[in-house]
Amino acid sequence: MSGSLLFQSLVLGVLLGGLYALLAAGLTLYFGVMRVVMIAHSAFLILAAYLAWYFNKETGLDPLLSLVVTVPLFFAAGVVMQRLLITRLRPATLTMMSVLLTFAIALFIEGMLGFVFTGTQRRINLSYSGSDIEFFGAQIAVVKLVAFGLAAVSLALLYVLLKKSRFGQALRATIQHPQAAQLVGVRTDRVAGLGFGIGLATAAVGGTALSLDATIYPSLHWHWVGPLMAIIVVGGLGSIPGTAIAAMVLGIGQSLLQVELGTTWAQTLFYIALFVTLMVRPQGFFGGRLAQRF
Amino acid sequence: MSQWKRRATALAATLSASALLLTACSGGSGGGGPDDPIVIGVSLPLTGDFSEPGKGVQRGYEAWVSAVNENGGLLGREVELRVLDDQSSADRVVQDYEALIAHYEVDLVFGPFSTRLVVPSARVAEEYGMLFVEPAGAAEAVFEQGFENLFYAAPAIAQDHYAHLADHILSLPEGQRPRTVAVASMDDPFAQGTAHGLRDRLAEAGLEIVVDETYPPNTTDFAGIAAKIDDSGADMVIGGTQYQDAVNLIVALQQLNYQPQIAAFSTAPTNPEFPVAIGDRTEGIIAPTGYTPDADWPSNVAFVEHYTEMFGGPPAEDEANAYTTGQVVAAAVEAVGCAEQGECQQRLVDWLRDNEVDTVVGPLSWDDKGRPQSAHLIQQYVDGEVSIVLPEDTAEAPFVHPKPEW
Repeated sequence: MSGSLLFQSLVLGVLLGGLYALLAAGLTLYFGVMRVVMIAHSAFLILAAYLAWYFNKETGLDPLLSLVVTVPLFFAAGVVMQRLLITRLRPATLTMMSVLLTFAIALFIEGMLGFVFTGTQRRINLSYSGSDIEFFGAQIAVVKLVAFGLAAVSLALLYVLLKKSRFGQALRATIQHPQAAQLVGVRTDRVAGLGFGIGLATAAVGGTALSLDATIYPSLHWHWVGPLMAIIVVGGLGSIPGTAIAAMVLGIGQSLLQVELGTTWAQTLFYIALFVTLMVRPQGFFGGRLAQRF
Repeated sequence: MSQWKRRATALAATLSASALLLTACSGGSGGGGPDDPIVIGVSLPLTGDFSEPGKGVQRGYEAWVSAVNENGGLLGREVELRVLDDQSSADRVVQDYEALIAHYEVDLVFGPFSTRLVVPSARVAEEYGMLFVEPAGAAEAVFEQGFENLFYAAPAIAQDHYAHLADHILSLPEGQRPRTVAVASMDDPFAQGTAHGLRDRLAEAGLEIVVDETYPPNTTDFAGIAAKIDDSGADMVIGGTQYQDAVNLIVALQQLNYQPQIAAFSTAPTNPEFPVAIGDRTEGIIAPTGYTPDADWPSNVAFVEHYTEMFGGPPAEDEANAYTTGQVVAAAVEAVGCAEQGECQQRLVDWLRDNEVDTVVGPLSWDDKGRPQSAHLIQQYVDGEVSIVLPEDTAEAPFVHPKPEW
């Protein structure tokens, strides 16, 4: 293994980790706030990717501009989904039933995408999709850098929102102790709805970032469910920084393992990490107290 | 009002009963009378992972049925197609062929799409002693199962898809030949078969295989594989690919500014979506193909015309292989003079073993395992257009080597 390949893989791993962090952020938020296992999160990612592709195809403009429409749209859809569907589940069986409910939503989205856009595999053909810049001898694809930048900005915004705003305080209070939050006047149901909306808004950003450098098709979301679930469990359910750290560690780990062991073994890293976490530290390596504090 | 309601209920009941009766009657359509249509049963992945190629195969079959009926049918009888959807599932495809043969009593069956569905369905056909001509099971694994009734209706099996390219590379003078080769293939019998066939021939001739990577079908990130290939500096890259992985891998290689002398990828470059996805950076990319609408085989000219009239555009490889399946079965039926279940099927099989059939992909004959004894054409993107470049006697444009930068 040459040094340049190792460095190149490291750089690719960091970029991949950033994308993973963005894609998994919403997933950990739903669980943190509402104990909802949102299987449909990756289906929403693919939906956003399709909307970005369609926007680019119809207008010829950069797919990033579609965020102006998709982010508010997904936010609203998230609030509506939480208020109309998730709140109707009984608290005692919420976690389990949310799996079934969101599984159905994922199938619905996949079916609709196939119906509207057919099963043909699509890719956004950007003028800069094959361009790269050199970074200390490693090549960095411009699209990957854009996706990474998008991830960094969104996660930073999310962090500031949760840490600094009154809404963020209310959301964190709801996560820590819903009953206590209610006692001090936090309208937890409303907060949960907005939290779900924010989670889905991250899916709009993540899906658009994904669409820049991926070939998309309706059933692609199943390939993402496993790795994303593994990331949020390792990171500690509900912890945004934990998710970001786990995503980065697993992204870099996958990229470096690939050099020596090949793709198949590199991909099993996620599942090995998942098993080890569940055995050794079920609350996640960066969860627990960190999850409470964000 | 209530009387009206009762009447409506009675009417509905009568209608459903008649519908049931009709269905029951049409269930056993395989009678084989001189005026009865010849019913051909087929199960296709019309939904699920293989739905796109599955629909292509369906269009090919439909084009063949309409062409045959326009020309007076088979043995003077009308031909009908009975299509079931297996949802790309190997379990469903088995049930479907059981139902087609035993319940619907179809006269003949055609194969489904994809090696993964062909193997289980061929087993059902074999149990019932049915002739099984299939358009899409090209992997070597299909022919190692010991099927005695199976024939693949395309020029060559996966292992031989790159045969003309291998011949060409090995015929180059030592100085012009690539020395090092990087191979990346999906863990899929067909995709892997194509790449490994070429890899093994080049390795035997002394070329060095510097990267030999296999990735699972659900791989979404190809940057790591591309980095390995780029780092090896291989003169040539071979992709044993389906569609999305080929596109993702090519873009990932371009992002690293890797410039090989030869870049060959199976499946994707023959797809009309390919240049849409890659844009103007397709220059020099090579792919094996079993079919070109421009080929001047006698039946192909008529096929392209008929197909274009029906579907508004020229046929692609899946459509052509499906049409070829129809031609192969029809040739056997016309020669033997029968088309029904039972002893006739063995006569059809025996006839195909010993004869050559003219099809839209050229004349086809088979070995005792059902492997076609021909070869795939090699196509290349030259000046933004895709042309057949090998073998030289059917080439539309000269083979460009080394390939221009992409």
